[in-house]
Amino acid sequence: MTTIDGSSIKKLIVACDAGMGSSVMLASTLKKQLAKTGVTVEHSPVASIPADADVVVTQAGLADRARGVVPNIPVVPFNLFLGDPAVTRIVKAIIDGTTIEV
Amino acid sequence: MSEAGSSHQAEEAVPLTELLTESSIRLDAHASGRDDAILQAGAALVEAGAVEPSYVDAMLARENTVSTYVGEGVAIPHGTLAGKGAVKHDAIVVLRFPDGVDWDGNDVRVAVGIAAKGNGHIALLSQLATVLLDADKAEALRNATTSEQVYALLASDEDDE
Repeated sequence: MTTIDGSSIKKLIVACDAGMGSSVMLASTLKKQLAKTGVTVEHSPVASIPADADVVVTQAGLADRARGVVPNIPVVPFNLFLGDPAVTRIVKAIIDGTTIEV
Repeated sequence: MSEAGSSHQAEEAVPLTELLTESSIRLDAHASGRDDAILQAGAALVEAGAVEPSYVDAMLARENTVSTYVGEGVAIPHGTLAGKGAVKHDAIVVLRFPDGVDWDGNDVRVAVGIAAKGNGHIALLSQLATVLLDADKAEALRNATTSEQVYALLASDEDDE
């Protein structure tokens, strides 16, 4: 379990294997949802997640690889591209500035 | 169009009709299953001159690792990081399967095949996300019978919030 303080997040990375398709789509959706918060949303291949990320959102099957790349950054795994509860929670925590466990 | 050159994820402006050519929109495709659908999407990318044939293997490999099903009857098959070297230029293909394809238990009606080594396709994928989050637009994409309808749905409208 990792605690994430939504109010401290400045940079959210959506990671997938190639950084080519899936992560691009989710990142663009989250960018719109978080537009008013000033949080930076970027997409990235898992292998090159930037070290200054505050939280990483990635498909469940890639979560362990992501944790191996950035052991000190919380990873939020998701299963659904549209309306995944885990993604909804982190977005809400950022917008509301609340704390969640992942 | 490139006034925001400082951002490293700046979108290179690739016209939609260049990224997704008319001949890469196939609205009456039929596939025996997921892998057959991926092979067809891959073949369309090869025909578009966007990828080397080896990229298709990377697309199958990617699908076996993590599904590219994104919801609303749409999958976005694409290669792996290792397969990126086989990409010659950014391109998108759209295959519509009116009879559906069993995609790991999901009923896929539209496969959007992606080849990308740059960021030229980001605007299109961003718009696709917008379409899929709108049930009416998603249905319109699944039911599209002309390339004009596909273009109209996937053309990015910058005025949306």
